[in-house]
Amino acid sequence: MAISPALLQELEEKRKTLYLAGGADKLAERKKKGLMSARERLDAFFDAGTFMEFGLHVQHDCQNFGLAGKPMPADGVITGVGYVEGRPVAAYAQDFTVGGGSLGSKHAQKICNLMEYAMKAGMPFVGVNDSGGARIQEGDEALSGYGKIFFRNVLASGVIPQITVIAGPCAGGAAYSPALTDFIIMTKKNAQMFICGPEVIKAATGQTVTMDEIGSAAAHAAISGNIHFVAEDEKHALQIATKLLSFLPSNNVMDPPHKPAATVTLDRDIEMNELVPEDAKAPLDVTKVISRLVDNGDFLEVQKDFAKNIVICFARIQGISVGIIANQPAHKAGTLDIDASDKAARFIRFCNVFNLPIVNLVDVPGFLPGVVQERGGIIRHGAKMLFAYASATVPKITVIMRKAYGGAYLAMCPVDMGADAVYAWPTAEIAVMGAEGAVKVLFKREITSAADPSAKEKELTAEYRKKFCAPYEAASRGFITDVIEPAQTRGIVAMMLRNTLSKRETRPPKKHGNIPL
Amino acid sequence: MKKLRVTVEGKVYEVLVEMLDEGTAAPAPASSAPVTTASITAPVVARPAPKPAPAAAGVSGDVLCPMTGKLMSFDVQIGQTVAEGTQVATVEAMKMNTYVYASKAGKVLEFVAKPGDTVEEHAVLLRIG
Repeated sequence: MAISPALLQELEEKRKTLYLAGGADKLAERKKKGLMSARERLDAFFDAGTFMEFGLHVQHDCQNFGLAGKPMPADGVITGVGYVEGRPVAAYAQDFTVGGGSLGSKHAQKICNLMEYAMKAGMPFVGVNDSGGARIQEGDEALSGYGKIFFRNVLASGVIPQITVIAGPCAGGAAYSPALTDFIIMTKKNAQMFICGPEVIKAATGQTVTMDEIGSAAAHAAISGNIHFVAEDEKHALQIATKLLSFLPSNNVMDPPHKPAATVTLDRDIEMNELVPEDAKAPLDVTKVISRLVDNGDFLEVQKDFAKNIVICFARIQGISVGIIANQPAHKAGTLDIDASDKAARFIRFCNVFNLPIVNLVDVPGFLPGVVQERGGIIRHGAKMLFAYASATVPKITVIMRKAYGGAYLAMCPVDMGADAVYAWPTAEIAVMGAEGAVKVLFKREITSAADPSAKEKELTAEYRKKFCAPYEAASRGFITDVIEPAQTRGIVAMMLRNTLSKRETRPPKKHGNIPL
Repeated sequence: MKKLRVTVEGKVYEVLVEMLDEGTAAPAPASSAPVTTASITAPVVARPAPKPAPAAAGVSGDVLCPMTGKLMSFDVQIGQTVAEGTQVATVEAMKMNTYVYASKAGKVLEFVAKPGDTVEEHAVLLRIG
């Protein structure tokens, strides 16, 4: 009494045929181009031998335009669940060798089913996109498929982390599913993402543009800000996804994978003191501060090439997984502008929804002045940071390193915007505006009526600077938890993180707030 | 049609150039900023100057001002050979010094702005050839 060998053989043969995807020749052609197949991509992503496929035998039922009876193995998308560094993750990979990876109704249904499974089970969802677009033979069914995916992307947003890898074409409506996910990783070569390509742009507007200028990873990383990471190739893209997941919880009701040591080390780090320039005008490269603040100098910077005046990254501080938001004075003087506000605000909201404590490193001279900024809506964009910080209920720890001026100070999460602790270095300057500007407003009459107006102005400026270009005025009013030596920063932030982990803050019940967009 | 005089190794040639895109191709729109694809870590070339600039604008030897401010100093000499990424100038803006770096390796040919001047974002500060 054993199972019939014929049945086992039938299963074996079906699998073999389906694993061949679009055919041995197409797979070989891909290999020649140096590209991985969809299956190889998932194998590279998951821990060896852990991938469990969902829906290998799914077939389309389209009868139109020569598709009737035409086999489409797995309907052009491989879906399933596996383990990444020991934690379950759901993933799909579109198969370009099967009908160009085109999306039909069954293809979409497989992705939707997987997403629903990931939401129920509470595991991250990763997609590898490589598709020519809608399967036009299926007409409206394909369009409906995209809609169903978008809808589920939105349902899953804030429930499970969603990551998209763009490793091939991703055009038109197809680009909106990635855009609805939390992070997009794009390969440098062989990947394009756009709504209207160069030909459509030329026909509609007469503008001449290359694909690289609008659709490449470089353009999206540095100019449009649509993507978060640039990868050398598909393997690297999946490594970035793995690294990213290492900081994140599997879902919104779990804690991030903290790895706290049994004891917190309070050792002073003298080299942190040495990073702070004596001259207040000399820029401080904030990535050097971050390197010394976090464990092993290891942090994963998000949107590295976009709005470089603010740095956002994931890291661990003595084992606690955190999101860091830091002004970068080495770029555009560390000012906040439209792009920097958008970049930071979305990151803060991501951290909040997935229970990651937030650490803010402040050195901000203000919002960037300029016609482009004002007319571009810096008011509503800057407001996003205020909104995001105030609505975040995760632990929020702010370190004011140097400048913290005016509205930009408020946009970097001081105590009034809900910070749980605010530390200031002795170099901190917390004021409503710079000394030169303030004195011109405050003492206009005294200066003009003085015997030597310029000497009077200098004297008053020095007086104002002495009062406000130091942390003690703000500290005396209770805006600062403590003034600390830079060398103490890592130890103190680590201790504060430990004791705010059980923080609970409740807000009035509502559907959702109305963040300025 | 455009008539151009080209000198190659001392010999003068006159050539006729037909502009195929003439008519439709208005000045490059500011949105189509050139993007360097070679290396993502390399600074992306700044958007073209808003006003039609002299012929040489956009050549990567032009070192552009990163943000509107006051030019404090040139940190190199005319004729000095610099590597890509060498600090060549300092601009003060928003109570902070912003260092400007060489966009390519070469020799410092010309200072276009003057220390003490207010310089606009994307204005040419100096030329490297």
